[in-house]
Amino acid sequence: MSRRLATSLAIFVSVVALALGATFAAGNEPSLGLDLQGGVSVTQEPVGDYNSESLDVAVERIRERVDSLGVAEPEIIRQGDAIVVNLPGVENQDEAIRLVQVTGEVLLRPVLAATPITSNENPPASVPAADPGASSTIAPTDSGASTTIAAPPISLTLAPPATATPGPSRRPMGTPTTTIPGTTLAPAPSDSSTSVPAETTTTVAADASASSTSVVATEPTVDPNLAGGDPSDPTATVIARNADGSEIYQLGPAFASGEVFNSDAQADIIQGGWGVRVTLKGGAAGADLWNVGASQCFSGGATCPTRRMAIVLDGVVQSAPTVNQPSFSGGVDITGSFSESEAKDLARVLKSGALPVRLEVQAVQIVSPTLGDDSLQAAIIAGLIGVALVLLFMIFYYRTLALVVVGGLLVSGAIQWSVISLLSKTNGLALSLSGAAGIIVSIGVTVDSYVVFFEKLKDEVRAGRTMRNSAERSFKSAWRTIIAADIVSLIGAFTLWYLTVGSVRGFAFFLGLSTLCDVVVAWFFTRPTMLLIARGRRFGGGRALGVDSSSSGVANPVGGAA
Amino acid sequence: MSDVVVSKSLWGRLYNGQTSFDFYGKRRRGFGLSLALIVISLVSFFTRGVNLGIDFEGGVAWQVPASATMDVDAARSVLDGNGVETSSAKIQTLTSGTEEFIRIQVGDEPTEVRTAVQNQLAETAGVSVDEVSISSVSSSWGRTITEKAVRALIIFLVLVSLYIAWRFEWRMALSAILAMMHDVLVSVGIYSLTGFEVTPATIVAFLTILGFSLYDTIVVFDKVQDNVKRFSGTRVPVADIVNVSANQVLMRSLNTSIAAILPVLSLLVLGSGVFGAIALREFSLALLVGVTTGAYSSVFIATPLYAIFKEREPKFASLRGSHVTGAALQQMVVTGLPSGNRAVKRVEASSGEVQTTDVSASAVLTHPPRPRKKRRR
Repeated sequence: MSRRLATSLAIFVSVVALALGATFAAGNEPSLGLDLQGGVSVTQEPVGDYNSESLDVAVERIRERVDSLGVAEPEIIRQGDAIVVNLPGVENQDEAIRLVQVTGEVLLRPVLAATPITSNENPPASVPAADPGASSTIAPTDSGASTTIAAPPISLTLAPPATATPGPSRRPMGTPTTTIPGTTLAPAPSDSSTSVPAETTTTVAADASASSTSVVATEPTVDPNLAGGDPSDPTATVIARNADGSEIYQLGPAFASGEVFNSDAQADIIQGGWGVRVTLKGGAAGADLWNVGASQCFSGGATCPTRRMAIVLDGVVQSAPTVNQPSFSGGVDITGSFSESEAKDLARVLKSGALPVRLEVQAVQIVSPTLGDDSLQAAIIAGLIGVALVLLFMIFYYRTLALVVVGGLLVSGAIQWSVISLLSKTNGLALSLSGAAGIIVSIGVTVDSYVVFFEKLKDEVRAGRTMRNSAERSFKSAWRTIIAADIVSLIGAFTLWYLTVGSVRGFAFFLGLSTLCDVVVAWFFTRPTMLLIARGRRFGGGRALGVDSSSSGVANPVGGAA
Repeated sequence: MSDVVVSKSLWGRLYNGQTSFDFYGKRRRGFGLSLALIVISLVSFFTRGVNLGIDFEGGVAWQVPASATMDVDAARSVLDGNGVETSSAKIQTLTSGTEEFIRIQVGDEPTEVRTAVQNQLAETAGVSVDEVSISSVSSSWGRTITEKAVRALIIFLVLVSLYIAWRFEWRMALSAILAMMHDVLVSVGIYSLTGFEVTPATIVAFLTILGFSLYDTIVVFDKVQDNVKRFSGTRVPVADIVNVSANQVLMRSLNTSIAAILPVLSLLVLGSGVFGAIALREFSLALLVGVTTGAYSSVFIATPLYAIFKEREPKFASLRGSHVTGAALQQMVVTGLPSGNRAVKRVEASSGEVQTTDVSASAVLTHPPRPRKKRRR
């Protein structure tokens, strides 16, 4: 029995030590919340009507924008409908705040000019990798644009943007065509017959010689150095790129927003390939608005010389299909060289654009680095002194037994450090000021477990039982109490964590974590340690443990054997 | 049999768990005091209200390092210059160990004003814009936070009551919840009377304390449950059981409260006082208030309340109004055995004459423990 206890204790302590060692070896450490290192936190909440797609898309857009900001440990959390963006240690605060405010609005803009960029890695202004003189070069990465002439984007002239050849393109939402399934919305077989003209159009467009004689040929090219207008301004002429940066566009003022569609966009197999099917809203705000743009694009006039209509979300062209019919009633099919996931992504964008989420900034918190530093220092020093005071009190009151408390707190601290470090790394958990406070508070809870145990132990010893017997009995009853009380703490922590937002949530998390630690340490550390100590010769008598059994005579007929 | 040595000093009795406070007998004082506190709290709450922070009401707060050019008046003029209403603005100087800060708090303002004031404050103070901390909350968001916190609190209460009712009994759940509501009311009163600002940190701290206070109460009830079993074969009134239990765990209650208060005090005095971390101050203040009322209520409110509910049980109803005090109570606390001949004399039982002969054999743990062996194995 003793051996088993000793083994289990040894295993537990070495597991904890290993975990701590691995944490240090891997260089993991708890990441600090922005209130401890300075930074910006923006909380936004959607107002008005929105659907869950539009919120998802908005969060994604925010994530992309934040990633572009290059912040070390950004945190984007959805708490209910609210979106909290935490940017610790961010340099340019105003820029950061502006950046995380996405609109989620989808704009439909005519493509004035489009230029493929041969290398996806190249920013628009840089010289492309392809040989400028090789006018017939096939762009290596982009079979969808295979008929384009790979020239420097600045000087390119003959690019036929309408290269909607359905082919093995890997270009996401590349250059599909828009076909019109007549008046039917459903993917009925009749669709394919009405879609046939679309096929022919694309075939023609795919022919390089044909495109050179098309209206497009006379169009100006996109100068990537040209400063476009504000992408969020529907009336401005803007410069935009598509999602993978393979093509750059000059876009005219928006005809309409994504709100002309119903929010029923669906990825579907249309004419044997993946496409997106969406229906138009009726009336002035829907089909009418759309048809104005569609007819302009179809005729290829000055407002839409390329005959392509770009679907733009957040300044990025999601797709720029060629319009194959002057007027639509009911539904629109977007087909082209989509893969299934590309089609689904585009459908999601259209769905969210149909009911764009309007995020309103609800709370902004900017913590200066010095203030964060001060708070961190204060929390650490106050925490350490708090622990020291508690330990002093324990030593004063329980004398040698307090060593077990010290050991328990050390083990508990090692577990928490490892877990928090691990979660910081894997889940982006950040230790905030309120979290630190939660841990400091939990010291009280942890110590209380020992107090419950030791008080029961004292009762038993006082009643004349041997240390060995007392330790076992008192742990048994203390364990029940500890579990009962810890469950209440856990209920509290979980309720708070689940139902609240912001700092309360962080606090609840750390409170819950340390309560769990308390249970684990009580069973795997305190129990074997105490039982072993109680068996040992040295502490067999109660005196060393602050239990004075000799002075408190007991209801013990045989009399207190000292 | 009468060789029980009771320590002479109060400390010794506390240390050895031999106190004999008549918590049940003094219940009216406890209830009276608490009732008075609750009335004062409610009056203050409805007349003065509580000082809600910007997180609940919405608003903007700037915090800028103070300097020779940056003081309260300078801050006021910056606000004036940007067309911000200064009459309702709260401007205060915060001192921390290393430096001073000016904190300015006003109602909801648009982003442009917020940024303009930030820039101008930085300029006035002669620091970079990054050094100005801002916290801004719209009033609708503040409402959301408040609603969520209240909802969390209610659900927490329901879950915990269910748990206690299942783990112990419904009377305990009811008493514990009543004691907790007492804590809430008294703490709200303290915040209302002193005008301390209520922030999310306060709410957090507060909810912890509710958990803590419950924890405390549960430990007492755990002991009560033990003792109810222990005395099940005897004619001991609930009042005695409750008194014995409360006295037996008194030291633990005190120890726990001390162990909880020490780190909190350290946070309050060192963290916020010496080092000036404001967030810590509000937090630890609430904790301090909560721990104190929680410790008080678990012994003076929850336990007597439970006794009152439990006395309605037929088994205990006939024993009502007869509970022992003083030395007899002490005897019970120390030995865990019913004092005197409960069938005949109760309050009259004197300290020296502890008779256990009439105790039913079914009472748990009334057998004397096995004598300690001289030689260990």
